[in-house]
Amino acid sequence: MRYLKEVFAARELLANLTLREIRGKYKRTVFGQLWSLANPLALTLIYTFVFGFIFRVPLEPGDPSGLKVFALWLLCGLLPWTFFANVVNLGLGSLVANANLIQKVYFTRVVLPLSIVGSSAYNWLFEMGVLLVVLTIAGAFVLPWIPLLIVIMILLMVFAAGVALMLSIANVYFRDTQYFLSIVLQIWMYLTPIIYPLSLVEAESDKLGGLFGTSITVADVYGLNPMVHFVNVFRQLLYDNRWPDLNEWLICLAWAVGSLVLGLIVFRRNEKRLAEVL
Amino acid sequence: MTDDVAVRVDHVSKSFRLYHERNQTIKSAIMRGRTSVHEDFWALKDVTFDVPRGSTFGLIGSNGSGKSTLLKCLANIYFPNKGTIEHFGKIAAMLEVGSGFHTELSGRENIFLNGSILGMSKKEIASKYDEIVAFSGVEQFIDQPVKNYSSGMYVRLGFAIAINVDPDILVVDEVLAVGDAEFQAKCFTKFRDLRAAGKTVILVSHSMATVKEMCDQAAWINHGELMTVGPAADTIQAYEKSLTGGPEG
Ligand SMILES: Nc1ncnc2c1ncn2[C@@H]1O[C@H](COP(=O)(O)OP(=O)(O)OP(=O)(O)O)[C@@H](O)[C@H]1O
Ligand SMILES: [Mg+2]
Repeated sequence: MRYLKEVFAARELLANLTLREIRGKYKRTVFGQLWSLANPLALTLIYTFVFGFIFRVPLEPGDPSGLKVFALWLLCGLLPWTFFANVVNLGLGSLVANANLIQKVYFTRVVLPLSIVGSSAYNWLFEMGVLLVVLTIAGAFVLPWIPLLIVIMILLMVFAAGVALMLSIANVYFRDTQYFLSIVLQIWMYLTPIIYPLSLVEAESDKLGGLFGTSITVADVYGLNPMVHFVNVFRQLLYDNRWPDLNEWLICLAWAVGSLVLGLIVFRRNEKRLAEVL
Repeated sequence: MTDDVAVRVDHVSKSFRLYHERNQTIKSAIMRGRTSVHEDFWALKDVTFDVPRGSTFGLIGSNGSGKSTLLKCLANIYFPNKGTIEHFGKIAAMLEVGSGFHTELSGRENIFLNGSILGMSKKEIASKYDEIVAFSGVEQFIDQPVKNYSSGMYVRLGFAIAINVDPDILVVDEVLAVGDAEFQAKCFTKFRDLRAAGKTVILVSHSMATVKEMCDQAAWINHGELMTVGPAADTIQAYEKSLTGGPEG
């Protein structure tokens, strides 16, 4: 509890570090903030070409929105994923990158990984804003869903923050965590229904039935991946414009809270020795 | 008793791990089943002293004797293995000036960033902004990115920020050596003002002249052990005697 108070007291520092990340990133580039759109745009083009055009991933029209645009459907899942992957990737290195600061000044260390969440969230917000505009132009009625969208965005931020806290500590002890992470993230992305619909997995799973004579199905195992549920909620709100199942909300909430609590515990345990081991 | 003590260092020992073989990768941890081979090195051994409130306290000793380690323990950056350090009042440390600077950002932006790392609120920084800029003497370059600063300007700006944190206890590790004579004189005046205001200053220096001039109390640390503590003149004398009087022990 006292720890939370300490973190809260450092909110101004957190805001400043976040600004440092944001300003430092696109400073002295011609297009500035527009650069943050370049990456998702490139990914959308290539995935749309490969999976939408060549493989023809079967796409059901949004219910009830009636949308049927692969690129938009893709972006509703891709943007949350790239945000998550960014936070985890950059958060992982946040302590090692600021070793100099940690060894010379005392401050609540937790603000370093959290400032990465903040700066990534800023870019993400920008991307999602653009997506909302495009969705509206394409005919989706997203406006009433914005409050819920904000809730799920916060949950994903909290979940990503917890993972980043744990990994930032791991990276201090094992400097090759980064390489493992890039492999894990690649696998993780394909295990999440971003470029293919969840319904395909469910259909295949139903065909197969229970695994090894038990009642556990492929879909059950697949559902252990928290990002499946996050992406699902995002798509239903943005693309389908419908209220996601309460169950899905609860699963996301549980993962978010669990990840943050575990992350803070791990971080707090190791925080004091950081200056020495770095 | 505690009324006149600013910092109480009580039987403090600090050890570091000296690695013979440090495996900082998951790969080697898995393949060898262990992460590292190390031995303990005691950088501070059972150090005990009090720093009186309102004094300027010098720490002297040869290279590698543990002065910076002790300051880092004071500043909550390292945590002692044994013993405790109590301080009565707000503490600010200047172990390395400008370490929180972001080289792409301007001096102005860095003042706000570095100030908040040192624990100042935005309001506080804004109210002291002019004073900081004036003290640093880099007005002309304040909107330039700090990567274009000379190393002296870097130090000046960093010091100007840190000194404006307004702590009860100021801890300084030989950072003044980089500034020019004019700036050093400015700093000494500032230290004197602090003392006049009843603040405590703890500083490390290799310049005996500085310690003699600035400090009323001093401690001499050698190989992690406290040799003498007391009035500055006496401590310096003991230290200098050990240097001239044959091989030091
Ligand atoms: N993080 C660390 N890991 C291992 N050893 C360390 C670490 N920090 C300091 N030491 C060791 O502790 C000893 C004391 O170092 P310290 O920096 O306190 O010396 P110092 O008195 O400040 O010297 P100088 O006058 O050169 O600044 C040295 O032998 C140093 O090698
Ligand atoms: Mg030193």
